[in-house]
This record gives sequence, C-alpha cells and structure tokens, in this order.
Amino acid sequence: MRTIFAVAVAGAAVLLATAPTRAHHAFSAEFDINKPLKLQGTLTKWEMINPHSWFHIDVKGPDGKVVPWLIEGGSPNQLIRLGVTKNTLAVGTAFIIEGYQARDGTNKAVGRSFVFPDGRSLFLGGSAPGGAGGDGQAR
Amino acid sequence: MRSWPARGTIAAALVAAAFSLTTMPVEGQGPAYRAPRTADGKANLSGIWQALNEAYWDIEAHASAPGLVLALGASNAVPGGVGIVEGPLPYRPEALAKKRENVASRLTLDPENKCYLPGVPRATYMPYPFQIVQTPAYIMIVHTYARAVRTIYMTDHTDAPADSWMGWSNGTWDGETLVVDTTGFNDQTWFDRAGNFHSDALHVVERFTATSGDHLQYEATIEDPKVFARPWKISMPLYRRLEKNAQLMEFNCVPFVEDLIYGHLRKQPAK
Amino acid sequence: MRHRLFAVLTAGGLAIAMLLAVPVPVATQGPTVAPGAGVPRVAATPTTWTVRRTPDGKPDLQGFWNNTTYTPLERPKDVTKEYYTPEEALAMINRSAAAEAEQTVPGTIPDVHYDFTQFGLDRSQAPLSLNLRTSLIVDPPEGRLPPMTEEGRRRAAARAEARKQMGGPRDAVQNQSLSVRCILMDRNGPPMLAGAYNNNYQILQAPGSMMILVEMLHGPRVIPTDGRPPLPQNVRQLGGSSRGRWDGDTLVIETANFTDTTAYQGSSENMRLTERFTRVDEETLLYRFTVDDPATWTRPWSAEVPWKKAIGPLFEHACHEGNYGLYNTLAGARLEEKRAAEAAAGKPSN
Repeated sequence: MRTIFAVAVAGAAVLLATAPTRAHHAFSAEFDINKPLKLQGTLTKWEMINPHSWFHIDVKGPDGKVVPWLIEGGSPNQLIRLGVTKNTLAVGTAFIIEGYQARDGTNKAVGRSFVFPDGRSLFLGGSAPGGAGGDGQAR
Repeated sequence: MRSWPARGTIAAALVAAAFSLTTMPVEGQGPAYRAPRTADGKANLSGIWQALNEAYWDIEAHASAPGLVLALGASNAVPGGVGIVEGPLPYRPEALAKKRENVASRLTLDPENKCYLPGVPRATYMPYPFQIVQTPAYIMIVHTYARAVRTIYMTDHTDAPADSWMGWSNGTWDGETLVVDTTGFNDQTWFDRAGNFHSDALHVVERFTATSGDHLQYEATIEDPKVFARPWKISMPLYRRLEKNAQLMEFNCVPFVEDLIYGHLRKQPAK
Repeated sequence: MRHRLFAVLTAGGLAIAMLLAVPVPVATQGPTVAPGAGVPRVAATPTTWTVRRTPDGKPDLQGFWNNTTYTPLERPKDVTKEYYTPEEALAMINRSAAAEAEQTVPGTIPDVHYDFTQFGLDRSQAPLSLNLRTSLIVDPPEGRLPPMTEEGRRRAAARAEARKQMGGPRDAVQNQSLSVRCILMDRNGPPMLAGAYNNNYQILQAPGSMMILVEMLHGPRVIPTDGRPPLPQNVRQLGGSSRGRWDGDTLVIETANFTDTTAYQGSSENMRLTERFTRVDEETLLYRFTVDDPATWTRPWSAEVPWKKAIGPLFEHACHEGNYGLYNTLAGARLEEKRAAEAAAGKPSN
C-alpha cells in the first residue's frame, strides 16, 4: 500500500550512499583533461551501441575544410526505453559539443555536453528541475 | 439388434480421427507430430537443443580442407559437409569478391575468433547447446557461445530501435510453427567460418517446428538485397540434449581473446 | 547553465520514490527482521494485495525490474539505527541526487565524462524503490560486514600484492577491472547489485526454469528449478552454478562453484550464495541474499534490496564488441609513453 511522506528539514546524519562507480571506465584515462574543446558539427551517424554510444560528426574548420570527429556519449539503452530510435536524430543535425580530446591525439573526444545551436540539450536535461524528461518509471 | 460397423470402417474412422488431431505436416517429414502444450495452448519448444552438422565451418556443401593453425593440425582442419543451403549462395558479383577476401583473411576477420556475438542464423548451428525459454509474451533463446541472448517479442511487435548483433525479433505462431521475423542487424557478423557475410539490410525469417519429442525442424529464409541477388533458405534438424543434467555451461570467452585483441597494446618492458 | 535536473522528493512530487510496504516505522519502532528470515514481516497496515500466480501456481515474478538504490551496503559509522524515518531517508536521497546532478566543474576529473542526465542515466532518473534501511546488510544486525577470518585477510593481501605486481592500470588489458573489460559487472554478480545506471533486469518464468536477463553485459542467468543437481564441485564458473526452488511464495536460488576471480567483497571460490525473491506488491520485488563463506568471514551475512518495477525493453548490451573506450585507453597510454620517451631523447615528437 502506497504511503506518501512529507519531507521535513532533516537533522539526520549526513549520509551519502557508497556511490556505485559512476564512470564505466576512467574516462580521464582515455581523454585528456588538458585538452578541452568545443566543436560545432553536423551528424553523419549516431552509433547506438554499448557500452558507450558514438556520434560521428563533420566539423567545418575556419579554412572551410570538413574534418570528421568521433564523440563518445552514453549508453543509448535508457533513451531507447523513452522512445528514442535510430531515426530520432537525422543525418545533418547540427549540434555543439563541449568535451575533452582523446589522449591519442586523434579526432576523438568525449562529449560532456551535447546541445543544439539554440542551447537545448540533445536528449534529456534542461534548465528546469525534472527537466530530465522521462523518469523511467513503470507505467 | 445393434449392427457393428465393419472393421474397415472402424480403421478408416480411426485414421481420420488421428489426422484430425494433427496439423499440416512439415515438408519432407512424415505425419505431423503434436508437441505437448504450454499453459497458453502453444507447442512447447522449451528445452536445450543443438544442431548437429558442419554448417558452422561452411554453410555451403564443401570438402574437407586444412586448418589455419599449423600447431593445431587435424583438430583445426575443416571437415566436409553436405551443406544446409541448396546450391551456391546467390552472391551479387561485387559481394562475391568481398566473400573471397573474407576467406583469404578469415583468421583475422572472423568475428568468432574475437568472441563477438555470432548473429543469426549462425548462432543456431554453432556446435554448442542453446536453450529456449518460452513464455507467452517473450521467448528467449540463450546460446552457449558468448552467452548470446535473443529476445523474441511474441505480443509487443515493434521495429528495431537500433541495430544490434543479434537483431530484433518479432515472433508469431503459424499453427504449430514458431515463426521469428528478425531485422535490425548490424553488418558485423558472418554466417560461418568460411567468410559468408551480410549487410545491415539482412532480414531473416525462421520457422521452428517440433517433429518429435526430441527434434525440431529449423528452416530460415535469408534476404539481403545489398549482398545477395535473391533470398535463400537453410534447413536442418535440431536435436534435444537428453542428458539428465543437460545445462548451458558458462562460456564467457572474453578473457580468452583479450591478448588477441589488445595484446599489441601491452606496455613493453623498458629496454 | 545547467540546473539541478532531478525532482526533489516531496509529499506532492513523489515521482521517483515509492514507499516499500515492508518496514514501516510509523507509530512503532518498526519491525525487526530475525537473522536468516527469508521474508520480513509485513507492514502494520494490512493490505488486500495478493500476488498474481503463473499457471503452475507459483507467484509471478515476471517483468522488468530495477534495483537502483542510494542505500550503502554497510551502515555508515555514525549511524546506529536500522531504519531512517521516511523524512531522513528522503533527505538522504535528495542530498545524494543533488550532489550527482550538479554541474561538474570544467577541468576536473568528473567533468571528463559524458553528462549522465542527458542520456537518462543519472541515478535520480531511474525507478527507485524507497528503502528506509540504513544499510543493505541486514545481518549482522549492526549492518556491517562481519570480521574477516585470518585466511580471508591473507588472501586479500595476496590479491593486492599480485595486483601491484601487474603494474599500472593502463599497462595491459588484464590490469583493468572486470567491469571495464566487459567480463563481469556488479549488476551480474551474483549477487546482483546496482551500479551507476542501467540497473535493469527482465525476469521470465517457465515451468522448470527461471530466467533473469541482466541488462548490463546482456548477461543471461538461466536457473533450473526442476531439482536437477548442480555441477560437480571441481567445475568452477565466474557466475557459479545456480539452482532454484520455491520456499512457499519465495524463490530461493542457491549458487556455488565460483572461481577465485569472482572475489565478491573479497570472497573465496568456496562462497555459497543464497538469493531470495519475494514479490511484496505490484511494484516491488524484495531481493535478499546470504553470503556463506567460512574461508573469508567469521559468519554468514545477509543483505536486502527492494527492486522496483521498471519499463523495458532491454536493448542488447554488446559490451565487449563495442569496447572502443578500452582500446583507446591502452592505445593512448602507449602513444603518450612513446612521446615522452622521444621528448626525453631529444627527438621531435609527432
């Protein structure tokens, strides 16, 4: 039987859960904290794979040359449960990535944020609490 | 006085009754077998099954041939097989060239060597048992090799949300036959160790029919317009593993292939 | 600028949490759980819910489940009671959720990562069964692991030493964790425990067989429930060998035949694990496990986690196949060493 409780300002002892490992692997071992970058590009392919998905983007440099980049993102599995499919992001979609470049110096990066040019997040997240979109709850 | 029907009439009636209890026979088989029922009235295909043929080496008819690893000698040699597909595979000309390249480089290119998921239908005829776990809404097929799992959606049919190694399977019942329609494959798997391959346009329709308490007849139609000029079919019996303690053993092959994949990236001792 | 992306848990906005019907310290001290009890006593509030049954009369445990939790395995050092009040529990969760959802600071290690919340992978975005317990460990009653045996301590030290001898984490693939290598993750176990995200499971129940598909590693557990004997003692598997049976309305899974690599919390290969599943309401599957490993701990210990009903599907987690990150990590390390060596030798670096 469901019971609802009000939150009071708690005087409880501070208790942070023994957090499960947040990172699947130490991303800082793969990407260089000293090589932050910001890229604007267009999507050529989103590989919806595990353990991490990969966004293939074309980035046009100041010289007009188009350079392909590979950006590491999260597992697509929860997005799939929320209705995202391989057709959700069209080829040619423009977005801006902030992240860190790969330690091997190739055109790979981890995307700490993916936003459309108008500032909206690519999938979830936003400026409002609960802007997390789907809560993954059973319906 | 009651007159009894003639003996011939009784026999005819019995035969008619027997056939009325059965369904259409599977092509090439004798009178149809009716499997025990699940609680929801379907043919019960649950159990541990295994293919018994040489298709995992080469799905086409082929003669025996030497292996690729000298030290393994005869144990790695290719046994001959009559094949599970009729005639040569109908490759498009440019695809046939790729198949030949695959064969030439199969030691490094065969995804099986790297413990990669085997795809469909290769998983079915790999030389290890697999288990069918059958419930009304979901049927899962769990393979020994690489612990590959297929989920067959029996009631909730949707399109593949994204591509995967084992594809996205929607299942229906055609009388006694389980029909599995799979799309959403990536282009990474092979059909066998002989370099036979497909693209991400692969579409497989499989039919599983119980032909006795210990046999399933398995047929699959493979369609891939990017690689093959026309669809083609495979066919084979699947045999129930009858040992009292039959079970899927753990075959977590990732540790067995790590040095193969990552060994060249190992830190070398300082000179 | 990103704001906090989780829903603060309040009486009105209880989108995420759902009170576990089982321990209910409302007016009383709350029920106690006897060590070894398979099923905790039910709440003081009577319920009319009865479990749905499969055609063979067994409780239906099927569906999609999620075992995300904010509760630590062991009771924190400054906490002595067994249960929080609902207010304390919610406050604890909200604090954790806030800490995790906060914008990471550019130039810090946590910032070198994709944003969990953008992919729905933040812990606050997962289904959650509210747990008032202060620890997952329910026995010993102190909520902490029992003392290790002398043998357990020696083994832990030997493993640590062996690990040190292997070198740095990026020296070789085998120096990375089993999780990074896509071999074994906490969600698989057994015991099956939540990690950071994708803590989802699908349970199928057929006559003679239970199947638990673990989302991470797309790992199958097919557990015979027809009474067939387990594997012989000398055959060891990373996930052990499991056999299931029903004890009233509780599914009991016994697992042994582990390897020395399994090493759950420092366990030996002779760990014997008993897992129990009881569906306590439509939305909640109560998971309890007991670790019996006299070679490692002075007594058996048990833990309990409520699993929350979740949505599917479980999309193929082809982890090993897609493990470019591991490859890149090792390749990057070798390249950095090469550049450092060239720089030291005065050569121009490329």
